[in-house]
Amino acid sequence: MYELFTKFHTFGAGLMWNRIARRIGFLCLVLVVVMMGAQPGVAGPVLNFSWPVNVGPLNPHLYAPNQMFAQNMVYEPLVKYRADGTVGPWLAESWQVSNDGRVYHFRLRQDVTFSNGEAFDAAAVVANFNAVLANRPRHAWLELANQIVDVTADEPYDVTLTLKDPYYPVLQELALPRPFRFIAPSQFIDGGTMNGIKRPIGTGPWILRETRLGEEDVFVRNDHYWGPKPFYQQITVKVIPDPNSRAVAFETGQIDLIYGTDGPISPDSYERFRTSGRYLAALSAPFESQMLALNTHRGPTRDLAVRLAINHAVNKDLIIDKVLYGTQKRADTLFAPNVPYADIGLKPYEFDPDQASTLLDQDGWLLPEGGKIRIKDGKPLQIDLSFVGTDAVAKSIAEIVQADLRKIGIDVALMGEEESSIYARQRDGRFGMIFNRTWGAPYDPHAFVSSMRVPSHADYQAQLGLPDKAKIDAEISQALIETDAEKRRALYRDILTRLHDEAVYLPLTYVTAVAVAKPELGHIPFGAMASEIPFEKLGLAAP
Amino acid sequence: MKLLRFTLKRLLFLIPMLFVASIAIFLMLRLGPSDPAMDYLRLSRVPPTPQALENARQMLGLDLPITVQYFTWLGNALHFDFGVSYALQRPVLPDILHYLPATLQLAGVALLLTLAVSIPLGIWAARHRDGLPDQFVRLVAFLGVSMPNFWLGFLLVWLLSIELGWLPPMGRGSASQMIMPALAIAFMSLSINARLLRASMLEVSGQRHVYYARLRGLGAGKVERSHILRNALLPIVTATGMHIGELIGGTLVIESIFGWPGVGRYAVSAIFNRDYPVIQCFTLMMVLVFVLCNLIVDIVYAWLDPRIRLGVEEKA
Repeated sequence: MYELFTKFHTFGAGLMWNRIARRIGFLCLVLVVVMMGAQPGVAGPVLNFSWPVNVGPLNPHLYAPNQMFAQNMVYEPLVKYRADGTVGPWLAESWQVSNDGRVYHFRLRQDVTFSNGEAFDAAAVVANFNAVLANRPRHAWLELANQIVDVTADEPYDVTLTLKDPYYPVLQELALPRPFRFIAPSQFIDGGTMNGIKRPIGTGPWILRETRLGEEDVFVRNDHYWGPKPFYQQITVKVIPDPNSRAVAFETGQIDLIYGTDGPISPDSYERFRTSGRYLAALSAPFESQMLALNTHRGPTRDLAVRLAINHAVNKDLIIDKVLYGTQKRADTLFAPNVPYADIGLKPYEFDPDQASTLLDQDGWLLPEGGKIRIKDGKPLQIDLSFVGTDAVAKSIAEIVQADLRKIGIDVALMGEEESSIYARQRDGRFGMIFNRTWGAPYDPHAFVSSMRVPSHADYQAQLGLPDKAKIDAEISQALIETDAEKRRALYRDILTRLHDEAVYLPLTYVTAVAVAKPELGHIPFGAMASEIPFEKLGLAAP
Repeated sequence: MKLLRFTLKRLLFLIPMLFVASIAIFLMLRLGPSDPAMDYLRLSRVPPTPQALENARQMLGLDLPITVQYFTWLGNALHFDFGVSYALQRPVLPDILHYLPATLQLAGVALLLTLAVSIPLGIWAARHRDGLPDQFVRLVAFLGVSMPNFWLGFLLVWLLSIELGWLPPMGRGSASQMIMPALAIAFMSLSINARLLRASMLEVSGQRHVYYARLRGLGAGKVERSHILRNALLPIVTATGMHIGELIGGTLVIESIFGWPGVGRYAVSAIFNRDYPVIQCFTLMMVLVFVLCNLIVDIVYAWLDPRIRLGVEEKA
């Protein structure tokens, strides 16, 4: 063996060393390029971001595996949802609504083209609406998809939308990241999009240039974009499924930005970055609410006093401080005040365990001598709390709720189960208390309150024991088709006040988007919707 | 010829084994309380209204009776069509084949690392029985078998990437990106192998033929190489066969931690999303890998040690 090696070494040495020297030289060159941070083929600044999965084929009219944040980068809506809850012009520069609230006339911008140069006009809008409506059952969860009767192109840049009813949240639902966004009709397959698309060609500020399965997606700036040009030339979205790995990738410079509402990093990682002083760290305004629905139709929570006591007994600040490391905000009402129609000055239930105990005493839930759990009519004050067993944050919150309620003599049984089991409980009302979330902007409040009328929702089940449930449902139905904004406001005020006074919910936190970035980014803007990441505003001076 | 017959027989035995495994996997997934339609809606960020759930079930084929679902799947699988991923809406097999080379590369490097480190460690420990080297190897082995690979992975990242900045924490493309994941996966196998080899060498070194070799005046090195190590390596061959499966299984979590675009990470995502077609295909693939590894080990074993008779020969 040794002889063989010696022979090989002698004969092949010269040739081999030349080859090795060339390879070492090449590797050094590559190393230098990598160390300089150069990105071959990219003329401008590059932002590295990460997401748990590839962005998908980016069909604007379909759901998973298409990632909403990426659909939002490439495709645009007729109207834009804004952070203050209003809707403003976007691809439609103006619109008019008929007196009966059933017909919407949109005037389109005339300076917009798709990124392949194709014209964006009324014909393209109608073709896209038709493509969406051809797959109506898939979009039936969204009321607008059921409401649209007809879409027509009146002029090259005028579109008319006709509805069944005067459904007022038309503009909010048109602003959603999907399905009512626009792909170049030349990219349709079989005359539509339900069977796929050829390429993701939109009108937005970014173009999907390349997807490497399981590794990354590369977006480049759309230099023909009609709006303000983004600062970054390229956004590279690396596939990193694990939140801890994402935090490490950020810390070691592999990515420049962490952003998201669904735990892109753990709360303690966020806190570590925030307090390090080396990075930018920010929280958005509330996007949605996290609460416990209290069942008014089953068990001890049928008593208003018990529901009120629960609202007074849970220390939400402790939850936010110890479990969430300040990454979410304290919720005192079902909807945050920045949600349309929700800023109505409802009086929060203060954290006051003594008042909670008094309420229970007055209602006849009394502590037996030497006992720790209250009893009324021979029945102990026991309530179950259902949560998804694999959700570590929900489990920690549930444990704090359990401990707080134990202090006032309520025994809470924690029920950590499969996600599907939890949803089954929500559907058929087999819960005492259950974790729930609102749907977030721009669904809140209209779509969320709308779902309160549907028996398969936890909210319906939780409210079923209310004496005025029928009235609440009727008011919700009326609010959704009320064309007079003031009357609609009054209806929402009444609905939300009733739910608050009846303590149907224990609002816990307002969920925010978390962002951590390198200081070079200077300023982190937030989108108006949870699914929106405003890459086009990154790197620009703060407004 | 006999070896060929043995191999063919074992390969044929694979068919009923895979069939039974496929039924077990299919039933275990579906008899649980989880509902992939719910997961699909969650991934789609669509509120789970009853109608949306019904549509999702129809779209994913979950509204059909379970027997129809199974036989449809089986019929397609026989044509190497393992269905479409619920979460990604892409055919499963091409994606698995896309990710598989990265996993095999990682597992292959981990295997080489296992052998390259465990054999010298085992010999070293055996040579210095109960001495310091032996104690050291014992400590390494103790750590290796006690520490979960993902925990070791995080420790390596913390030390070598965050604190020292020597190695990139994730990705695939350069040799430096492979060091930590390969080490994290291999550590347990190499610990077991080192101890196994030590024990095996000590056992062989007490046997009569070694005693006679020494009496014949052969040098210590020659005795160790030709008479002890050669015989002591046989159990290592068996263990290595098992380790290949373990190493591929080990990639499941490690690939997620190190952002390694392999089939393990693909499978972990599928498990989280209850993506039945992917889980079924991946599990069957793992069954195949384990069985084939065992088969290869048996063949190599018989080839290395002529004293060992294959089952077919014994019966003959």
